[in-house]
Amino acid sequence: MQDPRLRFLSIAVLSLASFLSVWGALGALVWLVVARRRTDAMLQPRVLLPLFAMVGLTALVSAWGGGNGLSYFIRMSVILLLAAWAYAATAEGEALAVAVWAFGNRAGFDIGLIAEMGLAGLGIIREEIEQVGLAMRLKGIRPGLRSIVPLALNLVITEIRRADEIARLLTVRGYTAGGVVCPRFQTSLNEILASISAFLLGLLPALLLRDVFILV
Amino acid sequence: MRVELGEVVFGRDGFCLRGSGTFGEGIHLVSGPVGSGKSTLALLLAGLLTPDRGTVRRQDVKSVLLLLQFPEHQVTAPTVAREAASWGIAPDEVLALAELEERADDDPFHLSRGELKRLTLACAFIKCPDLLLLDEPFSSLDCETKRWVCGMIEERGSGTTIIFSHEQSVLPRVDAIWEMEDGALIGRGSVPGAISSWRHAPAYLTYALERGAQPENIRLSDAREALCRIRD
Repeated sequence: MQDPRLRFLSIAVLSLASFLSVWGALGALVWLVVARRRTDAMLQPRVLLPLFAMVGLTALVSAWGGGNGLSYFIRMSVILLLAAWAYAATAEGEALAVAVWAFGNRAGFDIGLIAEMGLAGLGIIREEIEQVGLAMRLKGIRPGLRSIVPLALNLVITEIRRADEIARLLTVRGYTAGGVVCPRFQTSLNEILASISAFLLGLLPALLLRDVFILV
Repeated sequence: MRVELGEVVFGRDGFCLRGSGTFGEGIHLVSGPVGSGKSTLALLLAGLLTPDRGTVRRQDVKSVLLLLQFPEHQVTAPTVAREAASWGIAPDEVLALAELEERADDDPFHLSRGELKRLTLACAFIKCPDLLLLDEPFSSLDCETKRWVCGMIEERGSGTTIIFSHEQSVLPRVDAIWEMEDGALIGRGSVPGAISSWRHAPAYLTYALERGAQPENIRLSDAREALCRIRD
């Protein structure tokens, strides 16, 4: 999808549908397979698999506690896939453009700027995790709970420090609030049809509220 | 003890590295401009990358250590002392060598890049591995610390040390010179014979060679001595 507005809207509606019911999640999965272009970017399996493993683990704990683990696993996995697609397919500046289009040059600019910084931060975190992995290999440190916890703390501290540096940089450059962006979007008929179908799929679980908000 | 590159080919993101050669015991300098493939070659020699074609064979090498170009990429602990300990060595010895005793409890990211570089270099020299790969060891360092690094490299009694650097002012005594040109590894041979064919030689060596001097090695002092000899 070239138009980020339709992409974000479709993903939001489908995520809600997936959260509300298994049928919504399955519908969203079918939609994702059909509507996503082969050329669209997607996260690599080595990034996705640990996330699926975490969802699977939570689902197992849920099932062990008497909850509907399978339902949770299906719904969260589809939401994860949608999020992965949204992240991989979003180009730099798109979040800012959509936020300004939706909320204007003041509040929209601020929201868009925060979103852009968050998206950029995710990429940096991924690179840093890879670097830490390399550093551990160079030092001969085996991955384990004792090594992972301080490393995770290091990453969190680094991100807080980076956010502080960006805030200072924005202040130095005279940023207070709002800004001027003139977003332009390209929309095709296929994208509009895909978004309408996503919207209809989103309505479906809202009408069939059988397992609404059953998480565990 | 040696490392052999057998017709290695490695490609990534439109860049292709290729090369053959044997790195024997002693000090090797791999020079070349920024982006010529030195860091990629270091990762291949360290076994952290696998070549698309060809082989990297290490013979009688029991321990390998690669120091990355950016020392902050190697940090895994929250304090300077624990960072030193994360290399599997006594922190006190490292901190003394790096002259960072008073920063033991500081966050490693609060050190300057030069200080952090000194810390990682001290760790590497104390560990003293059979194969020591130093990726741009002189970057972010002042001249005095560069000379300290050169001294530490020269003092390594045994093993293979490979320096990947585009440094042009302070260099250690080396045994062989290699160059990276557009992703290709070119062996210039042993020093001093290799000095005359070294394309990325520092200006002081080129100056000495142009005046007919024959430096015995690649240090500034070697060029000076060679120039003094022809004046005498």
